[in-house]
Amino acid sequence: MTATEFALRTDGVGKRYRKGWALRDCTLALPAGGVIALVGPNGAGKTTLLRLVVGLLAPSTGTVEVLGHDVTASTPHTLSRIGFLAQDHPLYKRFTVAEMLRFGRACNLRFDQGLAERRLAKLDIPLDRRAGTLSGGQQAQVALALALAKRPDLLVLDEPVASLDPLARHEFLQVLMGAVAEGGVTVLFSSHVVHELERVCDHLVVLNRGRVTLTGDIDTLLTEHRLLVGPRTATDLDRAGTVVEAVHSDRHTTLLVRDGAIPTAPGWQAQPISLEDLVLAYLRRPSEPGAAVTSEVAAWRG
Amino acid sequence: MAWLIWRQHRTEVCVLGLLVGLFGIALLVLGTQAHDLFPGGPARCAGAAGADEACTASFRRLDEQYGFVENLLAAFYLVPVVIGAFLGAPLLARELEDGTWQLAWTQAVPRMRWLAVKLAALAGVTVALTGIFTAVLTWFRQPFDAWEGRFQYDAFDLEGLVPVAYALFAFGVATAAGAILRRSLPAFGVAFGAFLAARMLVALLARPAYATPLTTTEPISVGGAKDRSVAGFADWTIEHGYADATGRRLSATEYYDLEDAADRAGTNLNQFLHARGIQQFGVYHPADRFWTFQFIEAALFVAVAAVLIGVVVWRVRRRLI
Repeated sequence: MTATEFALRTDGVGKRYRKGWALRDCTLALPAGGVIALVGPNGAGKTTLLRLVVGLLAPSTGTVEVLGHDVTASTPHTLSRIGFLAQDHPLYKRFTVAEMLRFGRACNLRFDQGLAERRLAKLDIPLDRRAGTLSGGQQAQVALALALAKRPDLLVLDEPVASLDPLARHEFLQVLMGAVAEGGVTVLFSSHVVHELERVCDHLVVLNRGRVTLTGDIDTLLTEHRLLVGPRTATDLDRAGTVVEAVHSDRHTTLLVRDGAIPTAPGWQAQPISLEDLVLAYLRRPSEPGAAVTSEVAAWRG
Repeated sequence: MAWLIWRQHRTEVCVLGLLVGLFGIALLVLGTQAHDLFPGGPARCAGAAGADEACTASFRRLDEQYGFVENLLAAFYLVPVVIGAFLGAPLLARELEDGTWQLAWTQAVPRMRWLAVKLAALAGVTVALTGIFTAVLTWFRQPFDAWEGRFQYDAFDLEGLVPVAYALFAFGVATAAGAILRRSLPAFGVAFGAFLAARMLVALLARPAYATPLTTTEPISVGGAKDRSVAGFADWTIEHGYADATGRRLSATEYYDLEDAADRAGTNLNQFLHARGIQQFGVYHPADRFWTFQFIEAALFVAVAAVLIGVVVWRVRRRLI
């Protein structure tokens, strides 16, 4: 693979604020095309990572490469290929919707005004209304239309639906997925809700306390991981570091293993795991930079 | 970019433009009337108060009819500060308050260009508005300057170059404070407070020291008026008092002792002092230092503004915002 086939590559990226590290040792290689979900609890470093990706922040360590270019250079060319929708989808509240579009046109190399107007017309959002007077869902749609009108190669969205009601959330995702279906755009979005991701996403990155704990293609991850249920045992079951989590009840032991589905030992039953349970299991793991986590991360990459 | 800057800041620009326009027109109207009191132009009467009869009458009428305006104008040294702070405070703070910096800096205009264009445009408006205001005010004050000189606080701080420098200083402080505090209103307040503190320190401590003041000493004349200023009307007197025959300056107590002695002896004070060889001295800056002082003070405030803008540029460049 050449560099340009990756939508995003980070190498040892860390970001330190005055309070401490928000992100450490983040090494990712995310393929172009498709939808990538960045999942983690609040305060995991999702916003920091996304701001690094779009060049709003500079990394304290490491490098960020977007679409084959160093993003910290902030050239108009690179900036015009990235669309960004910040958390709470900020707009200039006193601008009318038409003025927001004019802002997009004035500040970009390419801007598909017609596309934006068609999208907004379809959603019955009047162009002469002030952005601040629109509902939250409509503001999100205007911000999305603005980002999509750039015809970006990478669209980055920070918690795009977190502040929306269920109906607006549904409509937003519908428009977003419609844009993905039209092709050509890689979408990277963050969420602290794991629910429903499976339907929408191709690729997963789990972030916990500033570190990447799991990354990969969702289908592959689900095939590689299994739940093994067997008689309760206290002995060390970890064959070659494949056990992600062990839960013991009175009679049974449930193991989450990443073993690529090698044959099950007698007395044990194998079950597939849901994406939500998988993510939760990784989030429950101790996040201190223990040797096991690091080595496994290295092993997964191989 | 030009459209965007206009759209974002047109409210401030219009409000300030209107204010400057209204004050300007009022000053032009009043100023024309005040100038008409001096048939040969106010400059002809410079320093002639008390000497030339026509000029003395003109000055008296000026004081009676327009003295109140001059007193009001003393507070106008704050207008440039309002202009600068009002334009500088929201430059970054409003974007940070509303989260729109994330919108502005992820379009295809690199943030350094965005910042450079914004700073240049709004600093330009600051200079233009303050410049117009100061030009009108300087013209308005011509009759008053002919009377009192240009070194008083209500003249020096309102005329020439320093008001523009004050405005740029306020613009710089407000922009930097906005970048750090991330709020427009507190940034405006900080700029105002910083200006008041800086201007007070400068006017009281730094300004008299821009050059070495001159000293004159002259014996007390027997018949002269008491406490007649030694320096010219337009000079800036820093200090004046009495010295003995050897030139040693007298303390206030020593002088009052002499006054009491004169009272007890029942002689005229001036004659009493004259007989003892007491001299009057004055420490002052001559009037022709006005522009030198204006340049020095303007450079001082503009330099601080430049440093603060430098800090803002550095923060944005390093992506610390």
